Amino acid sequence: MSGMQAVPPILKICRYTIIDHVRQKSFIVMLLIGAAFVFFTRSCYHGNYMVNGQMLGAWTVAESIAKMSFHTIAFTMMFLAALLAVRAFSRDRDYGMQACILSKPITRGQYVTGKVLGLWALAFFCMFILHAMVFLIMALQAKVFMPAFLAASLLCSLNVLVVVMGALVLSLSMSDFVAFMAVMAITVISFVADGIHTLHQSQMLQAIIQPHGTGPQSDVTWRTVIYYLWPKISELEITAASLIDHGWLRGWGALYPLANILAYCLIAAALLLWRFRREEIL
Amino acid sequence: MMIELDHATKYYGALAAVEDVSFSVRPGEYFALLGPNGAGKTTIVRMLLDFTRPTSGTLSIGGLPSTQAEARSGVGYLAENFRIPPFLSGWHYLERSADLLNLGRTDTTDQCRRMVELIGMQGREHSLAGTYSKGMLQRLALGGALLGRPRLLILDEPTSGLDPIGIREVRELLERLKQDGMTILLNSHLLSEVEKLCDTAAIINHGRLIVKDAISAIAGHGDTLEDVFVRLVRG
Repeated sequence: MSGMQAVPPILKICRYTIIDHVRQKSFIVMLLIGAAFVFFTRSCYHGNYMVNGQMLGAWTVAESIAKMSFHTIAFTMMFLAALLAVRAFSRDRDYGMQACILSKPITRGQYVTGKVLGLWALAFFCMFILHAMVFLIMALQAKVFMPAFLAASLLCSLNVLVVVMGALVLSLSMSDFVAFMAVMAITVISFVADGIHTLHQSQMLQAIIQPHGTGPQSDVTWRTVIYYLWPKISELEITAASLIDHGWLRGWGALYPLANILAYCLIAAALLLWRFRREEIL
Repeated sequence: MMIELDHATKYYGALAAVEDVSFSVRPGEYFALLGPNGAGKTTIVRMLLDFTRPTSGTLSIGGLPSTQAEARSGVGYLAENFRIPPFLSGWHYLERSADLLNLGRTDTTDQCRRMVELIGMQGREHSLAGTYSKGMLQRLALGGALLGRPRLLILDEPTSGLDPIGIREVRELLERLKQDGMTILLNSHLLSEVEKLCDTAAIINHGRLIVKDAISAIAGHGDTLEDVFVRLVRG
């Protein structure tokens, strides 16, 4: 090894995964579209916004636009991560790279881990770059510094990880398109369910839908159980966005989506390793 | 033993791709695996490389179970339908293969350069693989398999797509490697080449081992290997 410490195979596969995806024109185009979107939002920070006859302060405007951009970028990157991940194994198989890699003294576990890390690192890097652009535009255009914005981006990377692993697991059992649709359905359901849950929690809505004199229903139903066990992708994103408001996570409740997503990451990793070990290499 | 198969069996559903096959290959031996299409030769190779798991029985390389990644250290493999990403050049493919073998930067460059010369791709090594002919791809595959100076070379139809000159070049290259003590497991339909090159052959049909012996013993008594092969396979 000419005196050098050998780079672990996992990192090599991770590096090649990143290089092979960055080579794709479609990937570059999508990233440029994302960057253009962020760039065009810069003029929004200069507008005069009035709510109920009151002029909004620069901080409020910057915060609102930044949060909108934050959510849009985070969701788009999950979409992109799923798109890249569902094709990852089939591309390697079609191009003969799976056979090339696994005919060497590299375990299937190392190959899969390298793939996951590569896809995660790539999608997260793109998300972080776009979030950092928003952060810089805010700082330069509106003179508003929100360091928690970047911390929120880091927290959102867990969503990207769970999407990547979910897409990889599903792509081993179904066609790439169906796997992509399934991952996006899980993500969208998470957002819709959280929206409905938030509405149900609102006192105004409860007053409208509940008969006079009856208190809020507290029974644990199967819908509640499913709601809490469903991947909390949306809630983790909201928790991350709350960092932008407060600079820290508020209360123990904020840790639940984090624990939920971490648990799903572990489950997906275990399933991925187990399923790929049974995979026929062509 | 370099390779050992002990009652290796592989079923795909109810179909027996390989059934109760046992044989061994000594270090330095040139061993041919012969059989008609669908006989189970490629399945044996895939089980050796742990691309698919046997339903029963065991396979080992250099004394290590084929399920262990370490068993594949020092093994070069040329796949039957060799493909590489069209966006990679031949040089990048060789470099990547060498890197995955942990050859180190200096050794990687040296070996890749030597391999480009050996497979006669000078001047085309930096072109994208999408522009290569089938013969060039096959030579590139052989170059990739020879990186890291393997002790065992597993070749699945190495002359597929090559013209007669290319076939002769591959044979001459393999003859040179024989002098270095390399072990070769060769899957091929070109029986005349096998006869010139290999010491031992195993004939497989319908997943079963029909015969395993020295080529001279199989093809003796005025018969060519092809005559014996056709006779045995047709039953």
